[in-house]
Amino acid sequence: MTNQATIDQDLFKRTLLSYRGPFYIELISVFGTNIKEYTKEYNNARRKLFRIFIELSQNVSYYSENFHMVNNIQRIGLGELELKEYETFFTFTTRNRVKKSDANILAERCKLVNQSDQFELRHLKREQRMNSPGEKFGARIGLIQAVMLSKNKLKYSIEKIDDNFSIFSITITVDKN
Amino acid sequence: MENITLKSSPETPYFPEVNFDADTGICEISGESYMEETYKFYLPLITWIKQLIKNKNQKIDLVIKLIYLNTSSTKCILDMLEVLKDYQDQGGDVKVIWYYDTEDPDMVDEVEDFEVESGIKIELRKFEA
Repeated sequence: MTNQATIDQDLFKRTLLSYRGPFYIELISVFGTNIKEYTKEYNNARRKLFRIFIELSQNVSYYSENFHMVNNIQRIGLGELELKEYETFFTFTTRNRVKKSDANILAERCKLVNQSDQFELRHLKREQRMNSPGEKFGARIGLIQAVMLSKNKLKYSIEKIDDNFSIFSITITVDKN
Repeated sequence: MENITLKSSPETPYFPEVNFDADTGICEISGESYMEETYKFYLPLITWIKQLIKNKNQKIDLVIKLIYLNTSSTKCILDMLEVLKDYQDQGGDVKVIWYYDTEDPDMVDEVEDFEVESGIKIELRKFEA
């Protein structure tokens, strides 16, 4: 497992991908293909990174409070993503605007996920999927799934923009081997 | 009943390929599944299966060859499995087969979770090398 101290100490090699803008599915798909290509040396990490990337990117697309409306129907969230390579692991970060009232809920959810072991996360995932309202609300287990895949604690932060909004940032670490 | 045939495309890899055959009862989903508005894609497939059960009361084989599905898609697949479980409980002949890559233990865990959550037996088969 990779902890924060290790992230701070490990040798940073390069930024593989950095983007700021709307999270269209077409773009997510192209970035996903790029991520598979950039990380192809590491088969296990490659598969996990792609899956984590899709979950976190779609969370930005669906839930960012900064968004575009396409044809007055489709809501496309705006945000940022960054994939970095270190000596022994990769980090994937997303940042997006959230309502101030939702920020604490998200922080509590991250805290719960970080306090849970793999067995507890799996139980939580099953419970939330079975009880999720479904249809347009999806399964609401993307964050749990991302942490289960990475097997590392997630790093999160909330930065106040004004009285109504904050920037919510999540970083997931995936070991190369 | 009409069959459902949706071909995959390199331009839209987030949609899986679908082949639902009303004559044989073989319903196959393959590729990757991470489209937006997942329920809009899967709802017609679930409705089709319900209709097949109602009209023909025949054997149904659900064959899944997905190499990746996002968590929204897992919710839709779970809904589909629950429909098949209800049919099985009423005496319907149902088989669920899930193909997986031997280097992908996360997918095996996912299938185990589907079994627990839906109550239906899922046969795991390895993809041919």
